[in-house]
Amino acid sequence: MKSSPESPGAPRRHLAGLVPRSIVARTSLSILLLAVAMGLLFSIMASWRVRAAEYDRLVARVDELTSTVESTVSIACFLNDATLAKEIAAGLMKNRIIAGVRITSGKNSLYSTVTATPDPHHRAEIDALTRKIHSPFDQQSVVGEITMYVSHAEIEAQSAAYSRYTIWILSLQVSIVAAAVAALVYLLVTRPIKGISDELHRLEIRSGMQITLKAGRRKDEIGQLVVDVNALISRLTDVLATERDLRLAQEISERRMRLVLEKADTGILVLDKNGAIQSCNPAFVRILGPTAAPGALLGDLLAPHGLTVAAIIEESRASNEARDADLEIDLAAGRGKAWVELSVNSLGPNLFQALVSDITDRKRAETAARELASRDTLTGLLNRRGFDAVLANRLAPGRYDGPMALLQVDLDHFKSVNDSYGHEAGDRVLREVARVFERAVRRSDFIGRMGGDEFAVLLPGIECVARAKEIASSIIAGVSEPIDIGDGRSVRVGASIGVAFAEPAMETPASLLRRADIAMYRAKQEGRGRACVVESPDAVESASDAA
Amino acid sequence: MRRIACLLVLVALSPGFSNANDAAELVVIVNPDSGIDRLTRDEVIDIFLGRYRKLPSGRAALPIDVSEPSTERARFYQLLVKKSSAEISSYWARLVFSGQTSPPFQVPDAKTAVELVQSNPNAIAYVDRASVTGHVKVVLEIKP
Repeated sequence: MKSSPESPGAPRRHLAGLVPRSIVARTSLSILLLAVAMGLLFSIMASWRVRAAEYDRLVARVDELTSTVESTVSIACFLNDATLAKEIAAGLMKNRIIAGVRITSGKNSLYSTVTATPDPHHRAEIDALTRKIHSPFDQQSVVGEITMYVSHAEIEAQSAAYSRYTIWILSLQVSIVAAAVAALVYLLVTRPIKGISDELHRLEIRSGMQITLKAGRRKDEIGQLVVDVNALISRLTDVLATERDLRLAQEISERRMRLVLEKADTGILVLDKNGAIQSCNPAFVRILGPTAAPGALLGDLLAPHGLTVAAIIEESRASNEARDADLEIDLAAGRGKAWVELSVNSLGPNLFQALVSDITDRKRAETAARELASRDTLTGLLNRRGFDAVLANRLAPGRYDGPMALLQVDLDHFKSVNDSYGHEAGDRVLREVARVFERAVRRSDFIGRMGGDEFAVLLPGIECVARAKEIASSIIAGVSEPIDIGDGRSVRVGASIGVAFAEPAMETPASLLRRADIAMYRAKQEGRGRACVVESPDAVESASDAA
Repeated sequence: MRRIACLLVLVALSPGFSNANDAAELVVIVNPDSGIDRLTRDEVIDIFLGRYRKLPSGRAALPIDVSEPSTERARFYQLLVKKSSAEISSYWARLVFSGQTSPPFQVPDAKTAVELVQSNPNAIAYVDRASVTGHVKVVLEIKP
C-alpha cells in the first residue's frame, strides 16, 4: 500500500515531490493539465484562423462599401463634383476601418483625406483598395477612381477582439468539460478505487474482514475487483488458519520430541560425515562428560576408537544402513573406563544420527558372569574350562606369540591330608597353594585348577628351559612349606611338575597338555617333589630338583 | 379578310406601334449665333447631364428640358443614355446638395423650347424634328 519513501536519483525525487501521491489528486490534476493544454492549443489555432478570417471579412466589407457608394461616386466623378465626393468620403469615413478615401476624376483629385504616406510594411493591396469608376451613363468610359485606405490598426483590433472572444468561449467550454470529466472520473473511478485502497490499507487479514461492495457496482470492473480481492482475502485467511493449525501441531510434536530427546537415557546426536557433532541431547553429555558438546569430534570423545568410529560412519554411509559396535572407552578427565554401544544411522547425504548408550553396567555384569563361569570358586584360579579357553585362544591357528611353556602340577600327599584332617583342611591347603602359585608366576601367566589337586600354569613368552625350571622350582619350594590348617596344626604337601614347551606350529592344546602330563607322571615316578621337562615331542628330559 | 383587317387595327392601336409612330426623330437645336454647327452625342450627354456647361465654342451652355407630361424628355434620355425620366430626376435630386450643377432649365413644351433657343444664343434644347423652325440650327439628330 505504501509507496517506497526513497526513489533513486535526486531529480526524480524532486519531480516526485511535485506530483501528488493521491490517485484522486493525480487524475484531477492530469485532466486539468490536459484541458489547459488542449484549450491553449485550440485557442492558438482558433485565434490564428479567426484573425485570418476576420481580416478577409473586413477587406471584403471595404469592397462592399465601395460597391455601395459606387454609383454616387460615379456621378461625382462624372460631374467633377468635389462637394459630392466630400459627402461620400465623409459617409465612408464613419466606418472605423476606413482610414482614408481618395476620389479622383481624370487627373483631378476630387477629394483626399490621406495626408501621410501609407506604412510601407503593410501590404499595398490591403492599404489602398482602388477601383476604377465608370460613367453613370456609359459603362465603357472610365471617369475616375476611388481609393479606400484601410486602417490596419483597426483591422488588427477588431480581429483581435473577435479572437479574444472566441478564446474566451473556448476556454469556458474546455473548463466546463474538464470539470465535468474530472468530476465523473472522480465519482465513477477514482473515489471507489481510493475507497477500496483505504479499506485494504486498514484491513486485518486475521479478523476475516472483507471489503464492502456498494450496491449497483456489482456488475462493473470495480465490483469485479472488489469480489476478486475478497476472494483472495478469504483464501488468504484460510491459508493462514491452516498454517496456524499446522504450526501448532508441529510445535506440540516438536515439544514431544524434545522431551523424548531430553529425557532419554540414550545419547542421541547428529553427526556430519567427518564425525563432528552437530547437536546432541543431555544424555550424551551425561555419558561422556562436559567435553561432549556440538563441534567436538565423536572419534575423540570415544578414544581410543577414533578409527573405528570413522570406519563405522563410512560403512553406514556406504550401506545406508545402521552400523553398531560396543566400545570400551577411556573417559575424559581420568574418569576411568566405560563401555558404550555406538549405533550410527545415515540420515542424509552427509548427515548421520548416532546413538550412544552407556553399557558399562551390562558389560560388567557380563564380565562377572563370564568370570564366574571360568573361575574356580574355591581358589579364585581359572577352572578347567577357563584354562582350556585361554589355552585354545593362545594356540589358535595362525596365532604365534613366541615360545610358550606349560606346567602340569600335581600335589603330593594331598589325599592323605584330606583323609586325615577332612575336606575343610583340604580346601585350606588348596587355597594356600593357589596363593603360592600366584606369588611364583609372573603377572602375564595363567594359572588353572584343572580338578582335585591338579593344577596347570601357562607361561607365555618363556624363552629358555632354565627360566621355566626356575618358576617350577619356586612353585615346588613354595608348596613344600608347612601349611596352617587351623587349631595350631600344620601339614606339608609337595608338588610334582611336568613341563612341556609348545611347538611353534602344529601344536594343539590337547597335545601340549598330554606331553606336560607325561612329564608330570615321570616326575612322580622319579620320586615326587621335582619337575620333569619335555622339550620336544620326541624327547623327555628328566630334571630333578631337591624336594 | 375581315379578320386580317381587325388585326391590323389592333396593331395600329398598340402602344409600340403608336411609339414608333410618335418616335419621330428627335433633334438637338441651338441658336444660329452659338457658333457651332455640330455636336457629338457625348458632348450632348455632358451638357445635359451637367458635366460641362460650355459649348465647344467656349460659350456657356444653357440646356433646356421639355418637362412632363410631354414625351420628348423621356424619349430623349431614353435614346441618349438609356435612362428613364424617373432615373434622370433621381440623378438630379442627388446633386441638389452639392449645388455645383443644376438640372437643365425646365420648359413646358417644345414650342417654348424652340422660342427660347431662338432668343438665347447659349440655349440648347431637343425637340421633334417637326418642331424645328428656320430660326434654330440642328446640331445632332438622335436616332432610336
